[in-house]
Amino acid sequence: MNLGISATEFVSQAKEGALSVEEFVAKTLDRIKKIDEKIHAFITVDSQNALDKAKAIDKKIKSKEKTGICFGIPISLKDNICTAGLKTTCASKMLESFVAPYDATVTSRLKSEDAIIIGKVNLDEFAMGSTTEFSYFGPTKNPWNPEYVPGGSSGGSGASVAALECLASLGSDTGGSVRSPASFCSVVGLKPTYGLISRYGLVSYANSIEQIGPVAKTVEDVAFLLNIISGHDVHDNTTVNHGHVDYVKDIKAGVSGKKIGIISQMIGDGIDKEVASATTSAISKLQDLGAECVPVSLDAVNHSVAAYYTIASAEASSNLSRYDNLRYGFDFSTEGYEFKAFISKARSNFGPEVTRRMLLGAFVLSAGYYGKYYLKAQKVRTMIKAQLDEAFKKVDYLISPTMPILPFKVGEKIDDPLKLYLTDINTVTANLSGIPAISVPFSMSSSGLPIGIQLFANSFQEKELLQAAHALQETSKLPEMSL
Amino acid sequence: MVDRKEIEHLGDLVKVELKEPEKYIKQVEQILNYFDSLDKVDFHSDDILRTEVAAENLRDDVHEPCGDSLIEHLKKDQNNFIRAPKMV
Repeated sequence: MNLGISATEFVSQAKEGALSVEEFVAKTLDRIKKIDEKIHAFITVDSQNALDKAKAIDKKIKSKEKTGICFGIPISLKDNICTAGLKTTCASKMLESFVAPYDATVTSRLKSEDAIIIGKVNLDEFAMGSTTEFSYFGPTKNPWNPEYVPGGSSGGSGASVAALECLASLGSDTGGSVRSPASFCSVVGLKPTYGLISRYGLVSYANSIEQIGPVAKTVEDVAFLLNIISGHDVHDNTTVNHGHVDYVKDIKAGVSGKKIGIISQMIGDGIDKEVASATTSAISKLQDLGAECVPVSLDAVNHSVAAYYTIASAEASSNLSRYDNLRYGFDFSTEGYEFKAFISKARSNFGPEVTRRMLLGAFVLSAGYYGKYYLKAQKVRTMIKAQLDEAFKKVDYLISPTMPILPFKVGEKIDDPLKLYLTDINTVTANLSGIPAISVPFSMSSSGLPIGIQLFANSFQEKELLQAAHALQETSKLPEMSL
Repeated sequence: MVDRKEIEHLGDLVKVELKEPEKYIKQVEQILNYFDSLDKVDFHSDDILRTEVAAENLRDDVHEPCGDSLIEHLKKDQNNFIRAPKMV
């Protein structure tokens, strides 16, 4: 039994009865047991429940009962997405023992289609980070070379899919947190348009920019998951009723006759040579398929990282004020403490990156600095959106490398937060503007590390975006995971 | 210029007792200096993106009782009370 098949292939085999779901899930659990100590993608593995579900699904298939369209696909969820009865820790000591009383909308939609939630995967604490090193439970490693970071903050999602520990995963993307690990782990990751997927049950970090996004081996798999998890939700007023779109249908439409803008600001200074040459090669392959590629200048991108971190920190400091360690959290008696002293003491257990962002957030929002930082950041955001609106009048898609650099070694940048922030230069634009963006694995560096290419489309153009991503995916043959 | 006093004040605002405040001084200052690049932006408009939600699209304001599962996993004592520190 090959754990390296795509989710789409799994479904077609399971549907035909050509594959035992129980056997597949059991083998997946064995693999997690065997290799996860090297990768550390998982925080919680829900073994017994996964096996029970798999058995029940096999029974349904055999007796020709109506089965959900996932047919038991083993899926991992980033540990900031709520799962009833299963811990949701956000990789933080502050939520070490938190068990959500309800399922996030994405969780319940997956379950209702017979997906199997095999476990919860690692992230930077509260999704704040670009490498998954800031997890209270320790870092996740890159399955292509465990000395390197897997990207982040959804590093557990990227690594678990790449390491064949599940067939797909859901992450969340606030500034690139789905696309960065997708790029660094050689899998596909989509940040959908703001409002396409419900955030109900996603633990909030920066509400105005974050979205849940699928991570999988292929573009078809991502489209398949999007069909299930997208759409209006009464529990999230920011979701948009966009009508029913089938993202899988016509996915092979290609890019012939389409116009693609190459974002000048994302391929210039500071880009790794091998990443730059992979991008050039991706562009020429898309041209071979009949697309016209033209340079596009978006000068507001130069200010995107400063604007992004100002806004994200501001929202983080506000969102995280709710954690007082009273209703849930770690064991720490209130005895002998005055209210504020207790809370400040408990909250000293936030990790360094979360603390840093709360301090920054408090600063940029404080009287006297609000106009200097926060307001200007919001104006940059508007400027980026306006420049993108102009660009999309002329082109169908935009292209850039997902990450400006190759994966780097664990620990290499951990003491230099600004350096880490700057690696988000190519991803934050989609979050600030709300448009969708996808990372497609494209090539491997000479040292065997993955390089992903990013494609953007205008808001709610996911169907077209996935078609272009599929075309790009088909142009390269990448090595199989050898771990 | 960010100093220890400023960092401790920010820690106080976000209610976090900072174990090593000096660790944050240089980093926060360096990041704020980078944020200062926002001063150089040439804005042509004061517009700010806003998302509007029509009031009729909001859910009805009706009471929905919470289930037992909501209190099942809480940190509580045997009488189902959550213990909070003294308010003084």
